[in-house]
Amino acid sequence: MYLKTGVADKELVSNALPTEERRASGPYAIIECFQEIPCNPCTEICPFGSILPMDDINDLPRMDYDTCTGCGLCAAICPGLAIFIINESYSDTVASVGIPYEFVPLPQKGDVVKMMDRAGEFVTDGKVLRVVPNKKYENTPVVTVEVPKDKVNEVRFLQLKQEAEVAMPTADPNDEENLPDTTIICRCENITVGEVRKMIDQGYDDFDELKRLIRTGMGPCQGRTCRHLIMQEISRKTGKKFEDIELGAFRPPTKPIQLEQLIGGKEDV
Amino acid sequence: MLRIEEHPILTFEKGKLVTFTFDGKELQGYEGDTIASALHAAGVKVMGHHHVSGRPRGFYCAIGNCGSCLMIVNGEPNIRVCVVPLEEGMVVETQNNRGDLL
Amino acid sequence: MREVDIAIVGGGPAGLMAADAAATNGASVLLLERDGHLGGQLVKQTHKFFGSEKQYASVRGVKIATILEEKLQGMSDLVEIWTDATALGLYEDGVLTVEKGKEFVKIKPKRIIVATGASEKFLTFVNNDLPGIYGAGAVQTLMNVNGVRPGQRVLMVGAGNIGLIVSYQLLQAGVEVAAIIDAAPTIGGYLVHASKIRRAGVPIITSHTVTRAYGKEAVEGATIVALDEKWQPLPGTEQELDVDVICISVGLSPLAELLWQAGCEMRYVPQLGGHVPVRDHHLKTTVDEVYIAGDLTGIEEASSAMVEGRLAGLAAASSLGFKSDSLEADILDCKEQLKSLRSGPVGDHINQGMAQVMLDK
Repeated sequence: MYLKTGVADKELVSNALPTEERRASGPYAIIECFQEIPCNPCTEICPFGSILPMDDINDLPRMDYDTCTGCGLCAAICPGLAIFIINESYSDTVASVGIPYEFVPLPQKGDVVKMMDRAGEFVTDGKVLRVVPNKKYENTPVVTVEVPKDKVNEVRFLQLKQEAEVAMPTADPNDEENLPDTTIICRCENITVGEVRKMIDQGYDDFDELKRLIRTGMGPCQGRTCRHLIMQEISRKTGKKFEDIELGAFRPPTKPIQLEQLIGGKEDV
Repeated sequence: MLRIEEHPILTFEKGKLVTFTFDGKELQGYEGDTIASALHAAGVKVMGHHHVSGRPRGFYCAIGNCGSCLMIVNGEPNIRVCVVPLEEGMVVETQNNRGDLL
Repeated sequence: MREVDIAIVGGGPAGLMAADAAATNGASVLLLERDGHLGGQLVKQTHKFFGSEKQYASVRGVKIATILEEKLQGMSDLVEIWTDATALGLYEDGVLTVEKGKEFVKIKPKRIIVATGASEKFLTFVNNDLPGIYGAGAVQTLMNVNGVRPGQRVLMVGAGNIGLIVSYQLLQAGVEVAAIIDAAPTIGGYLVHASKIRRAGVPIITSHTVTRAYGKEAVEGATIVALDEKWQPLPGTEQELDVDVICISVGLSPLAELLWQAGCEMRYVPQLGGHVPVRDHHLKTTVDEVYIAGDLTGIEEASSAMVEGRLAGLAAASSLGFKSDSLEADILDCKEQLKSLRSGPVGDHINQGMAQVMLDK
């Protein structure tokens, strides 16, 4: 599901958590970075070396939970905003979660906020314990919120104000053909897919031929916006491979200029 | 109101107020605006109509690539307003044809 | 005609790094940027970059633009910067024509590094030309450069990194995101980006596409539909979304017009985003004087664009005989960095693509 929705699966998250014992013994960072991407600032910032050095910059970060203190620097620096600071050790009923939060207005200490899960669904209310602005770390504030202990690894976002629920609209029974002939394919010259299809049916199947006949790609964009769409259409209709279709010539100037400028052109400056 | 007043990362220092006209109507933007951003902030999304079909056109790329935002500025047609800075007293008009020779 | 050792077209992450590297080795550089300021698309990247320290990891893109620009300021004797200067044509005899402000200028550089980036792809669906349908990058520019929201409620089409990042930035700017849809069955962008948007309550709906926009003068709504395993729409699954903006984030195309004009050999490589130039390991194209760097070599992250820029700058300078003591080591360092950035599973498609356009081993 993670790949489809962006919501990390339960197992991914539980595998990232330290042991029960470690969780009970003090604050810790949880790194919810489950895709190998070229990125390593967390390994460099950690003052305790708890985020182990990577052999390759694409490696997933690995934690040494024996040395992690939950200081929160990694949460402030992570470009993916994927690190959270959890403290389950100071009470039997409540725990705290530190969330990187780049929105305005920022909550204030003492505010009661709505806490959402990884899918943006409301879970519980929480009380803001502190807000660290992290000016030194490109201004990614980390907001620490107290929540019921059993929810601390469920909640990952906060919302300040009550907002109207947005219902997903219902299905439209109006069944349109997916891409009718009237759809515009070349904005500059207002050429429709239908006109292009008609020409292709007559045997005109490269970009320059179409350009000369119906002006597709002849306007101010010079094909930047429409070229690949027109080539796709040619490919679809003729069965030619995209790379086998002629793109047509590219000529100066790359943008409209005034004749006056050309005439006044200088050899030397 | 489409102007961003408060932002978590950026601060927008508004420049001097700039007055210009759009199809004869007086509008205001700020120094630092492009013509397109000032129009958009003033609620103007339609920048012209296609010369054949008459269909409305707005900007598309906002960085001078696509040529979808051509307007008449101070009498000169075919100006890509997404990349031209707004200036005091500019006369901006929608363009509904290919542009006449000056 | 104006002469210079190396002309660099494009002042984005690749171009800026190339200018720095070439000038550090003693070459004179003319850097051309079509916009009024340097930085390219970095100026709207408010998120922190991935990668390692060498590619400014955990620094926000907008700040990286400033850092790179400041590096060039100390080298004004060698680096000349023209902003508001668009390269109009690159001819087979190596002449580059430029619109500088309102002037038309010809340049004859000894080497050219083309770092023109990419442009946003478009999508066919009914009423796709209505105002309110914007490229995701356009929305990013409007919000993060001009401080203007694109509208009230957005449908994001495409769950690659740009779609995910821009959705997050829309939320930060106080705009509602109705949904992120993608025709592919899985999310294309980094999953940490997806997670941070999902936990803020934005649904990410894979195997879905947009079939039409509604509205008279501008977007008032959109219809999305589920796709089956063969990417065909499933009748009866249409949903209407009440949105005033549809953001298109279906990929980028390398912006390689100058290379076509110059006669560089190009090849269609889907893994790299479209037609890209054939090149050697020093980013030299099949035209001896022309080097390349950044997204036009193949669509990748800005981290790779920066390293490629540096590599192209070093290689171009070296080919003209400019050599600092560390040049060979620096070139090796760039290659190592690129290799490591592309070594993981998310780099697989890049490596597959590169193998199809590389001249040497």
